[in-house]
Amino acid sequence: MDCIVSISTPLGRGAISIVRMSGKDSLKVALKFFHSKSSDIKPRYMYFGKLEIEKETFEECLMVYFKAPFSYTGEDVVEFQIHGGVLLAQKVLEVCLTHGAKLAEAGEFSKRAFLNGKITLDKAEAIIGEINAESEGELNSSLKITNGVLAEKVKNEQEKLTNLLAEIEVSFDYPEYDYDEVVKGKILNVIGEIQKENLQIIEDSKSATYLKTGINVAIVGRANVGKSSVLNALLGENRAIVTDIEGTTRDSLKESFLHKGIKINLIDTAGIRETDDIVEKMGIERSLNSIDRADLVLFVRDGSENDTKNDEIIEKNLKNKHFLNLINKTDKKRILPKKENEIEISALTNKNIALLKDRIVEEIIGNNIDTNSLIITNERQLNILKNCNALMEEIISAKEQSVDVIAMLIKKLWNELGKITGNTENENIISLIFSKFCLGK
Amino acid sequence: MEKFDAIVIGAGHAGCESALALARMGNKTLLLTISLDAVAFLACNPSIGGTAKGQLVSEIDALGGEMGIIADKTALQIRMLNRGKGPAVQSLRVQADKNAYHTEMKKVLESEKNLFLRQGEVVDISLNGDAKIITTSVGLKYSAKAVVFATGVYMESEIIIGKTREKTGPNGFKNSSGLSSSLKKLGLKMLRFKTGTPVRIHRRSVDFSVMEEQNGDENISGFSYMTKEKIQNKEKCYLTYTTPTTHEIIRKNLDKAPAISGEIVGAGPRYCPSIETKVVRFSDKERHQLFLEPEAENTEELYLQGFSTSMPADIQKEMVESVIGLQNAEIMRDAYAIEYDLIDPTELNPTLELKKVKGLFFAGQINGTSGYEEAGAQGIIAGINAGLYLAGKEMLVLKRSDAYIGVLIDDIVTKGTNEPYRMMTSRAEYRLLLRQDNADLRLTEIGRKVGLVSDERYKIFLEKKAKMKEIEEALNTKIKLDKRLVNFYKIHNESIPKESVRLRDMLKRVNINIFDIKEYFKIFDNYDYDLLEKVNINIKYEGYLKQQEEDIEKALANEKLTIPTDFCYENIKGLREEAKEKLAVIRPLNIGQASRISGVSPADIAVLSIYVKKFKKG
Repeated sequence: MDCIVSISTPLGRGAISIVRMSGKDSLKVALKFFHSKSSDIKPRYMYFGKLEIEKETFEECLMVYFKAPFSYTGEDVVEFQIHGGVLLAQKVLEVCLTHGAKLAEAGEFSKRAFLNGKITLDKAEAIIGEINAESEGELNSSLKITNGVLAEKVKNEQEKLTNLLAEIEVSFDYPEYDYDEVVKGKILNVIGEIQKENLQIIEDSKSATYLKTGINVAIVGRANVGKSSVLNALLGENRAIVTDIEGTTRDSLKESFLHKGIKINLIDTAGIRETDDIVEKMGIERSLNSIDRADLVLFVRDGSENDTKNDEIIEKNLKNKHFLNLINKTDKKRILPKKENEIEISALTNKNIALLKDRIVEEIIGNNIDTNSLIITNERQLNILKNCNALMEEIISAKEQSVDVIAMLIKKLWNELGKITGNTENENIISLIFSKFCLGK
Repeated sequence: MEKFDAIVIGAGHAGCESALALARMGNKTLLLTISLDAVAFLACNPSIGGTAKGQLVSEIDALGGEMGIIADKTALQIRMLNRGKGPAVQSLRVQADKNAYHTEMKKVLESEKNLFLRQGEVVDISLNGDAKIITTSVGLKYSAKAVVFATGVYMESEIIIGKTREKTGPNGFKNSSGLSSSLKKLGLKMLRFKTGTPVRIHRRSVDFSVMEEQNGDENISGFSYMTKEKIQNKEKCYLTYTTPTTHEIIRKNLDKAPAISGEIVGAGPRYCPSIETKVVRFSDKERHQLFLEPEAENTEELYLQGFSTSMPADIQKEMVESVIGLQNAEIMRDAYAIEYDLIDPTELNPTLELKKVKGLFFAGQINGTSGYEEAGAQGIIAGINAGLYLAGKEMLVLKRSDAYIGVLIDDIVTKGTNEPYRMMTSRAEYRLLLRQDNADLRLTEIGRKVGLVSDERYKIFLEKKAKMKEIEEALNTKIKLDKRLVNFYKIHNESIPKESVRLRDMLKRVNINIFDIKEYFKIFDNYDYDLLEKVNINIKYEGYLKQQEEDIEKALANEKLTIPTDFCYENIKGLREEAKEKLAVIRPLNIGQASRISGVSPADIAVLSIYVKKFKKG
C-alpha cells in the first residue's frame, strides 16, 4: 500500500493536532476508519466526522482530502485535524498504521514533494539538511541527554545478539572446530533477556511521555463523598496553573498542578449511581468515559458512613485500570469497614494529601524520578522497538525449527536494532567470530 | 603476432573456468600458464567445497562450469557438513585427489576445440586501441580484444620459511615477475597479501592408532547433477591435537616466526592463521585440533590441516614431532608462507571488468580472495562477461539474492578487502534461498542463456523440474481421516487432525518429513532422494522462504535505482565529504550497491536517491 503518515504538528503543543497521510492509497486508508455523513468526499472540502480510534470508540475530527497533483507532495493527501494532546495524536497515528499506512521517514513528505516537482532545488537542499540533522542527531550529540540513554540500552541489547550470532554462525561456518556448540536453550534465554529489557524500554518511554503531557487522573465516586474537596485539596496553592478545557465535551472539568516536576491533570466527574434521570445518566456516562481515558483513577469513598451501594458499578469499571482507594472524611469517626490498600485522607484537614500526591506520581512513573534515566523515544524508535518485540515473539515460537531459520530471525532482529544504534555492518559479526574463536587451517 | 578473441592469463581454478566459458561461448581462446604441470593445481588443502564453498561449487556447476564435475570424478571422500542445522547451511565437501584433479582438468582443457592451452609466462600487457597486446618472457606476442587476468598468488611472489626468502611461486613453481608493474602502469592500485600452507607428511610415519578416524558419509550425490553415480569413499581423514609441548616450542621460538617478528608485511587472513598466531592469540587454549588428509591416491603424502607456519624448517620439525601420533613424522614438504601482489578489487565493476580499461577482466586470488571455489566462481563470471563483451551484449551481474557468487563479487568490488576474502554462509543475507540443493533451479537458466549449459545438461535440468512438479502435485492428495492416518500422526508425536488432510499439510508439522510420508503411505518410490528432499525443503520452509523473498523484494527497489555512470558526486550538497570520496572511487551501479559501501550512511543514501531520481527525470 502506498501511503505514508506522520503527525505534522509539534507534539504536545497547540489546541489541535494534524495527522497527515500522503500517497495514492491515502483516501482508501482514511475511509477505513473515518466516518462522516457525506458519502462522497470531494477534494479540498472540509468534512466533519468521527474517527474510530478503537473498536466502537470515536473521536470527532475534521478531514480534508487533496487530490494529486494539487497537494504539498503532489500525491493524494489526507489531513485529519483533531483535538490537541500527544496521546490522542499518537492514537490516531497508530490507527493509520494499523490500516496499512507506513510511518514516514524523516523528511519523506518533502522528499516526495521534491520528486514530484512541487518544491524547488533550494528548498530541497534545506530539507536534505533536515534529513541529515535528524538521522545523525539520533546517533550524535544534539539529543544526547535523552536519546543517549536509549542508544546505550539498545546498544547493549544488540551486543548480546552479536555475541549470540557469532556463536551460532561459527558453528555453521566451522562445523569441525572444537568449541561448545550453542544450544537452542541458550538462544531462548538470551532472547528472553533481551525481550524483558526491550519491554522495559518501551514502558520507560511511556513514563517519559508523561513528562511531556502529564498524568491524567480521574476522581470518581458516588455523590457527596467529597470529590470536589479532594480536587481542591490537591490543587491547593497551585491553582495558578489551572487550565480549563471546557467545551471539549470530553470531561466535565480538568485542572492541573505540578508535583515533583510532573504535570498532573485532574478530572472531576459527576457522582455515579443508578438513576432513571436521562440528564444525570448522560453525566454518569461521561464519568465512566473519564475512567477509561485516565492514566490513574482516584476512587473516593466516605469513611464516615457505611454506604457501599453503587460502589459495584464503579469497581466494575476499574478492571484493568491503575487506581487508588481513597477513604475521605477521616477527620470524622471511621464507620466504613477497613480494607487493604486504602489511603485515609481528609480533604478538610489536608491529612495525607502530600502523601497522596507522591503516590499519584509513584503509581505511574515509579519511585525514583530520575529524569535523566527516562527514555524519550520518538515515534520511529518506538515503532522499531515494537517490531523487535514482534520478532522476538516469532523467534520464541519458532523454537522447534532448525537453527538456520532461528539464525535468520535473529539476524533480522539484529538489523532492526541496528536502525537505532547505527550498527548494521555484517562485518562486525564476522570480526567477532574471528576474534572469539580460534579457527583455520 | 598471433591473434585470439580472448586470452586468459593463468590456468588455476579461476583461469580454467574463464577459458572454458570463453571457448564454449565460441571464442578462440588462448590460455597461458607458467607451467603446464601447475594447471588446476590444488596448492593447499586437498579438498573442494565446505561451508559456503560447497554452494559456490554447485553454482559454478549450474552455470555450466567444470569444477563440480571434476571434484566428483576425483573425490576420495565425501561429507555433507551441518546436516543437523537446517538446509540453509548444509554444504558438501569432498577430499579430492590432487593429482587426478590436475590431470582431469587438463584433459578437459585440451579437448575443448576453441581452447589453446600453452605454457608461457606473461611479462607485459599493453593497449593498442581496443586490442590488448600480451608479451611473454621469451618474447612472443599475442593480441586479443578481451583478456582475463587469473594469476593467482604468482605475481612477484615470495616463499618464506624462517629466515629463508625465495622468489618463487607455490610449491617451487616459477613466479611471475614484471606483470605486476605492467598493471601498475595502467594506473591500478596494487596490494600485497600473505597466505600459507602446512607441512606434508609421509603416511608410513604416522601413528594412526592414537588418532580419531574421520569417515565420509555414505550414499551421497556429488556437486554436479551431471555426475550420475553416488560418490564412493575411498580414503579416511584423521583428527589429532597439538600438545603443551608444541605450544612451548612455538613460544620459545617466536622471535624466529616471520609473521610475528614483523618480517612478513603482507596482510594475512584472519580465518587462516598460522599455528604460531593461534598459540599467541588464543593462549588459554590447551590444544588445537589438526586434521590429516590424503593428498592423492597414488601418493603417500598427507596434508596436516591446521598447521600453517612460516617457522624455520628445523623448528617446524620439532613442532610436528610434538603432535599426538606424529612423534616419528617424516616431513616431505615444509610449511611455508607466501606473499604476492594483487589488485585492489574496488578497481573492478561487478562484472569483474576493470573500471579503467574496457575488455580487461580479473578473477581469483589476484582480486584478493582465497580458495579454489571462490576463484572458480569469479573465473566463470569473468569468462562469461568477457564473452558477452566480445559479443557486444549486456554483461552478467548476479545479485546477492541470486547466488553466493553474487554476494562474493558484490562484497569485494564494493567494500574491497584487507585480507584474502573467504566465502562464509554468514556473509549471505538470503542464505535460506541460496542453498546448495537449489543452485540448479537458481542458475541453470542463466547459464543456458549465455550458452554454457549444454543440451544434455539442460535436458536433465528440465526433467528434474518436471519431476519436482509431479511430486508437488501428488502432495495435494487428500488422505481421509481413518485409523491409518491417526496412527501416522501418533507415531510422529503430532496432534491428531480433525478432518482429512492433504499430504502437503502434513509436511508443515515439525516431526513429519517427506520421507516419513514416503515410507508410511508407500508413495514416491520412483523418485530419488535428492528430488524429494528439495520438495521437502520448499514446503517445510515455505513461510520463511517467503519472508526472505519479501526482504529481497524490498531491497530490489534500491537495486533497480541505477546510478548513471557519469554521475557527478562532487556537486551534491548534503552528502558528507567521506561519502562523496568513497562513492567517487567505487562508482556503484545502483543505490543498493551504494548503500553497502562502508562509510556511506543511510542519510547519505537518502540524499543520493533524491538526486539520482531527480537526475533521471531530467
